[in-house]
Amino acid sequence: MLAALRSRCSSLPSLLLKSPPSPSLLDQSWKLLGLSAPSFSSSAGGARDISEVLTVAEVEKILSDVKADNVIVIPTENQSCWADVTIIATGRSDWHLKNIAQALVYRAKQKQRGEKHVMLPCVQGYDTKWIVIDYGKFVVHALDDKARVYFNLESLWTGEPSSANDNSDKDLQNAFVKVRLINNSKKKKPVQVSS
Amino acid sequence: MIQPQTYLNVADNSGARKLMCIRIIGASNRRYAHIGDVIVAVIKEAIPNTTLERSEVVRAVIVRTCKELKRKNGTIIRYDDNAAVVIDQEGNPKGTRVFGAIPRELRQLNFTKIVSLAPEVL
Repeated sequence: MLAALRSRCSSLPSLLLKSPPSPSLLDQSWKLLGLSAPSFSSSAGGARDISEVLTVAEVEKILSDVKADNVIVIPTENQSCWADVTIIATGRSDWHLKNIAQALVYRAKQKQRGEKHVMLPCVQGYDTKWIVIDYGKFVVHALDDKARVYFNLESLWTGEPSSANDNSDKDLQNAFVKVRLINNSKKKKPVQVSS
Repeated sequence: MIQPQTYLNVADNSGARKLMCIRIIGASNRRYAHIGDVIVAVIKEAIPNTTLERSEVVRAVIVRTCKELKRKNGTIIRYDDNAAVVIDQEGNPKGTRVFGAIPRELRQLNFTKIVSLAPEVL
């Protein structure tokens, strides 16, 4: 850990010197300072990283092998500073979702067979409709069909103003605007004359 | 520093607007909850015609606190309000979008789902 810290400290000024001052620099240095997940900090120190064990292409192949439907890979480097690539896949049932997660973990384990430290991705939400497999630099979301429609992650990350996005905007507006009570009175409204 | 009886804003589109903390989950005799802690809360105010109603008991994750959050490197983060995101028993968020800035500590505390719905991660 100390060695990693030292090397990170030494690498930081060199990076600052190399790159011209830009808005992206801020993100970079934040990443280097080890603010993010531990996997990030280890990558800065030159050590191995769980996201180096498997590449995005390999993960795509695993997903196609386990027959995950509708796999979408979204590069999110410029949108978020916490993940470079977001992968979304649909599973047909709870079992299928679980199998997707297990296949991804198993492949990572298999690749590191015989090594001293085996690093595994962080899996969240086993036995639910939405399983997240977190590899540090990229994140795999395995969702149920209904959950995928409900959360609509694609529209969030691709930034397309789809209908669902509009709804969320509406919700946001509703959250800040005072809601007027619904008029439940039985009184007849004055009929508007349109001529 | 969230304790029972603290009022929190809701940082998602689940339909609740104000929560009151009634219990901190995780320890038997804990005094305060901080960012990333799960609490049991009562909905004190809700948007009409949504799934969540007033005086319903829900679980929520604290995502913003007025009390400073200190990081190992010396950074201090302090928000203007206390806010939480409503979750269900399994840890899935009830809403589909999270509003406002979210600290990245939530990811290490296994709330990647909330982080992935947030527009901004500090």
